[in-house]
Amino acid sequence: MSESELIEIAGQWNFNYNYFAGESASRFFRELRENQRIMGTRCTKCRRLLVPARAFCDACMERTNEWEAVGPEGTLDTFTIITTQFPGLPKPPIVMAYVTLDGADTALINLVHGLDMSDIDKAARRLNSLPRVRTKFIDEPKGRITDFSFELI
Amino acid sequence: MALENVSVYVEGVALEMSWADPRRNLSEFIFDTVRNALDDAGGSLDGITSVVLAAHDLVDGRSLSSMVTAPAAGAYLRDEIRYGDDGAGAFAAAVTRLEAGECERTIVAAWGRSSEHDVDAVSRTLFDPIFARPLGLEELHISGMRAQDWRRRHGGDSRVAAKQRAAAAARNPRALHKGGFKSAASYPLVEADLPLWGDVAAAMILTTKPTGVRLAGLGQSSEPYWIGDRTLHEATALRQAAERAMREARCKPAEIDIFEIDGLTLYDEAIGLEAIGLAKPGSGLDALAGNEKCNPSGGGAAGYCAPSMGLVRIIESVLQIQGRAGGNQIAAPRRALATGSSVVAGQTQTAVILEAA
Repeated sequence: MSESELIEIAGQWNFNYNYFAGESASRFFRELRENQRIMGTRCTKCRRLLVPARAFCDACMERTNEWEAVGPEGTLDTFTIITTQFPGLPKPPIVMAYVTLDGADTALINLVHGLDMSDIDKAARRLNSLPRVRTKFIDEPKGRITDFSFELI
Repeated sequence: MALENVSVYVEGVALEMSWADPRRNLSEFIFDTVRNALDDAGGSLDGITSVVLAAHDLVDGRSLSSMVTAPAAGAYLRDEIRYGDDGAGAFAAAVTRLEAGECERTIVAAWGRSSEHDVDAVSRTLFDPIFARPLGLEELHISGMRAQDWRRRHGGDSRVAAKQRAAAAARNPRALHKGGFKSAASYPLVEADLPLWGDVAAAMILTTKPTGVRLAGLGQSSEPYWIGDRTLHEATALRQAAERAMREARCKPAEIDIFEIDGLTLYDEAIGLEAIGLAKPGSGLDALAGNEKCNPSGGGAAGYCAPSMGLVRIIESVLQIQGRAGGNQIAAPRRALATGSSVVAGQTQTAVILEAA
């Protein structure tokens, strides 16, 4: 050991959590799992239909009350193409996008499938036209945000 | 509203951008910069009764990080507050303490050490675990979507602005010139648009006694949490924060000599310049490419690590006004606007206007 050796201590911070989704998100996820539909909640003040459904509007600081289904079709707002792998997600490149589903006043994020990604620039041009998309559910929804994705119409 | 006749002045500043220096642990890294700021202010701790910090537990890798780090920032036997947001927000909190008459001198410090943690993994923890985190989102992915939304509306690309930004960073003697790294770029971002992750510490001494640089205006604002609720190609909260700051300073963008805009990527900086009113919508990249008043520090290309960047932007502005910026000095600026942002896509924003006193 040299007197000038500088030591690094390896560390890992890996705790388990159980996140309470709450009543609104729980109902949102149950709707995904049981009815394969995406729900929003309407702000009692600004009247926007907020998606995903939530208990309150943070712009107005008012509770939401009415539940309404949106989509299943919508319009792509913006996107990015991700080239890094994330556990549980498809092999990159993958498209992540914000989509405003028909009837909604806010955009919802999820993956976009069904696009030929062999030519990134060509795929980007297609997405840049803000295409119409539809919601597509997995075969066995589990009540998670990963139960659905978008595909181009 | 500030107490009557109480103004806030900058007494000393210090800033370090470095990379993976194994000779110092985090506390020692913080101490060096705070000590340098104290020395810049004349060396004395006399009259300093307050310390305001910006730090994140996950960035520091220590829960209740300030227990370990605050004493290194001068908190022993002083009133310490840790601000869980950007360093410019900590600056604003320190200002309120001075203006309220709670103290006459205060330390403000912020830091982040990219070399000690996985910045992309920490970025994934920023998102809520219910709706967003399962998608594997990172902060840079949202910046990619902001950039795409901006490009679709305005056209153009970032090549010229990125070249100018890199040149500015190269002239900045405080920039990270060796080491650091960049994350993977998600389309349409390219590597030159990305921040250069580094180890960053920033510290200031603020006082109510007159010095050569005075705080002239301050504003803060926030976006809604839900990113899908926002107008991504704009920065509404920053616009509001800057308007408040300029109203307080009684000035317009045309009367400001230096703009130091915090943004995670080059596009975020460009959108910021549009939000504060210096550049028209769609011309933010042109301003970065052709206006030497815009981010003369080199912005995120000079080194980056949350949550210190707003305080870095303020310190770069102070050094410009004092004529001490070095190789990237702009001729005789009298007034500067600096901004700091925090959380994904700049959810919280602080705008600060400094003037030669």
